[in-house]
Amino acid sequence: MSDVVLELDAVVKRFGENVVLRGISLQLHRHEVVCLIGASGSGKSTLLRCANLLETIDDGTITLFGQSLMDPRIDPDLVRRHVGMVFQSFNLFPHLSVLDNVMLGPVRAQKRKGPEVREEALSLLARIGLRDRADEYPDRLSGGQQQRVAIVRSLAMRPSLLLLDEVTSALDPTLVGEVLDLLTDLARHGTTMLIATHEMNFAKDVAHQVVYLDKGVLVEKGTPEEMFSNPKHESTRNFLERVR
Amino acid sequence: MRSVRLALAGVLGASLLTGLSLTSGVTAQAASTAIALAKCKTTIATQEHTKGKLTVATDNPVYTPWFVNNTPSNAKGYESAVAYAIAAQLGVSKKNVVWVKEPFDSSYTPGPKSFDFDINEISYTAARAKAITFSTSYYDVQQSIVALKTNAIVKKHTPQELKSYQYGDQIGTTGLAYINNNIKPTKPARVYSTLDQAVLALKLGQIDAIVIDTPTGQYMASSQIVVKKKLLATQVGQFPSVGEHYGLLFSKGNPLASCVNVALAAMKANGSLAALQQKWLGIYTSVPVIKP
Amino acid sequence: MSLDPDVIASEETPYLFASKRSRLLVGRRGVVASTISTLVILGIIIAVLFAAPGGATFRYYFFDPHSMWVSWVGNPKLGIEAIRSGLLTNIWMFLVSEVLVLFIGLALAWTRMSHSPVLLPFRILVTAYTDIFRGIPLLLVVFIVGYGLPSLQFGFVSKLSLATYGVIALTLTYSAYVAEVFRAGILSVPNGQLLAARSLGLTHASTMRRVTLPQAIRTVIPPLLNDFISLQKDTALVSTLGAVEATRAAQIFESTNFNGSGLVVASLFFLALTIPMTRFTDRLMARDRARRLAVAS
Repeated sequence: MSDVVLELDAVVKRFGENVVLRGISLQLHRHEVVCLIGASGSGKSTLLRCANLLETIDDGTITLFGQSLMDPRIDPDLVRRHVGMVFQSFNLFPHLSVLDNVMLGPVRAQKRKGPEVREEALSLLARIGLRDRADEYPDRLSGGQQQRVAIVRSLAMRPSLLLLDEVTSALDPTLVGEVLDLLTDLARHGTTMLIATHEMNFAKDVAHQVVYLDKGVLVEKGTPEEMFSNPKHESTRNFLERVR
Repeated sequence: MRSVRLALAGVLGASLLTGLSLTSGVTAQAASTAIALAKCKTTIATQEHTKGKLTVATDNPVYTPWFVNNTPSNAKGYESAVAYAIAAQLGVSKKNVVWVKEPFDSSYTPGPKSFDFDINEISYTAARAKAITFSTSYYDVQQSIVALKTNAIVKKHTPQELKSYQYGDQIGTTGLAYINNNIKPTKPARVYSTLDQAVLALKLGQIDAIVIDTPTGQYMASSQIVVKKKLLATQVGQFPSVGEHYGLLFSKGNPLASCVNVALAAMKANGSLAALQQKWLGIYTSVPVIKP
Repeated sequence: MSLDPDVIASEETPYLFASKRSRLLVGRRGVVASTISTLVILGIIIAVLFAAPGGATFRYYFFDPHSMWVSWVGNPKLGIEAIRSGLLTNIWMFLVSEVLVLFIGLALAWTRMSHSPVLLPFRILVTAYTDIFRGIPLLLVVFIVGYGLPSLQFGFVSKLSLATYGVIALTLTYSAYVAEVFRAGILSVPNGQLLAARSLGLTHASTMRRVTLPQAIRTVIPPLLNDFISLQKDTALVSTLGAVEATRAAQIFESTNFNGSGLVVASLFFLALTIPMTRFTDRLMARDRARRLAVAS
């Protein structure tokens, strides 16, 4: 398999009159962690949603695992079984237990066998220290715990790419750490991730590439050292100043 | 010879005396009624619902032979005639008799009435008399069966066979009670809000027979159930009397009731009530009697 | 630009104690106040029933114990149908109707929300169906079904019992309402849930079945319950076809004996049927609401 997992080439996305993505081009390699930074409304979430076909683009191309997502033969459901997504608002299923939440995707979407999935799910939950909460319902968990379950829910699908949309922004500051620790752990294990985030320190530690978006334009990208110590564009500088 | 003549005179005298005393008994009766009537004519003014008028209520629509053309004020039909006759006895002129419409279902509910009395083929029962006051009888009732001519019940109506049919009737009527109490069919009778609905069900064949008082039943069979001028129904027969009678309905404790009873007593005594029955209901007594 | 200092920080010390009157309504004093007011209102009602000129007649007409008993057990000899057997008719009618309505309503809602092009003519039909049966008064539907079907003389369909026609009419009408309730419930499931489900690669149908509907159904339990209570009471309409159910039996008693106590009896039993269900569903709702709010969209 090629080393490039995801490639965007001059991607344009409009919502009615509003142009949200203006010609974005970037590449994501296997085992790479890329962090998207930028103000609200800069297009980070939209970009992520285009990558797993929750949104369709108006111009440009997206290539995933070497296949063009523009091809009419593409099956979106199939795409999403290989690309995991975690949301700012967790979106755990409230009517299912924690364990059932994790098992739903593999069993119903990937049609894997129940007992095998159950084992794997339980071990994933153990990994985040929540195995003993497996039969409880999400409403009994803290925000941080729910978000970690949401991440594990995606991991159970054995995705080749994980998309994370500001997954700590809705959390109480004391709970942010446990989620970031999990993501750091995943990064160390080589999970390919595209993360939209406001957590600059986390990006500095974990990202291989940092990409800055401003109003739908990819202004600057580079390694964390380049971006944080020596941003080239004024807009990038201004943004980083305000966020500090 | 003289003894025979004396004996004859004695016999004659005795029979005369007896005759005189009998008629004087009757006359005494008539005399007390007349006194009561005279008294009523003076008190009635205070007892009327609307002073100066006798307000009589009945249902809408109303049928032959009780009324004619749904017009109570034309004095035609047995109940209309009886109402005007009572008025006359009480010294109320024809033009002072006022008719109002009162559906059966609201005639007995608590609260002040908008009439002096209601005449609507209402049967007396002890339970009903707890809620309203009845007059004495103005008609003794027998129930009868009405069915389509094509129905088996026309030919087959032994007591045993009668139990097998599907009956239908208007809610709360003595016809319905008769079905449940005396005929006791195996299938429960169907109950309708109005007589019209029961008649429709009969026409549609949803029920085999309706049980209803003989005069109404005769009218239904001979004029009401027609399609394209063809008579569809027939009155199969009437049942023996079980002591049922119609009374006029008054609000509970209405003092006017006793005066109306006096008027009715007078009409029974002088034969005018019987004459009205003969005139309006006479032809209906010739219906064959069948046993339940 | 500067703000008027008085607007942002007044020099005056605010007075913090509640007025005497509002204190009266709080805490233990409040319990006393509400008990007194309840007793006063009850007292007024009882006083009216006894003291009003028509009070005695009213009490005899509606609250006579002997009449209540006779109407409950019935007396066929006098043409009085038992309310308790009539009630059985109401009960089986609404049990059957409720089950049918749940399934049909759900099927209608699912069809209407589907995306498959194959189902387009059905979507149009479903929309027409809900418009028609929410538009025509139930009483008319009862008449059309109850008098129309038999007159068609169309085999067994024309020979059903009156209560069965009632069930058909109730099912046709209430399915339309319930379909809309389900649809509203489906639309109310937070969008995040759909995104999460689709992101796992679940198909549209699978999402509907495993994620959307389970949540939608829990949300719509209160309006569904409303509709079902309504349905339970509407079973009385079958009396217009001539069937004898509880309210009809009460009416028969009223006409026969000129006493309305049967109506009170029938009402009490209808309450006995609906109130436990209401309380039970309140509890279900509370439990589900807690769960849903914890994972808010």
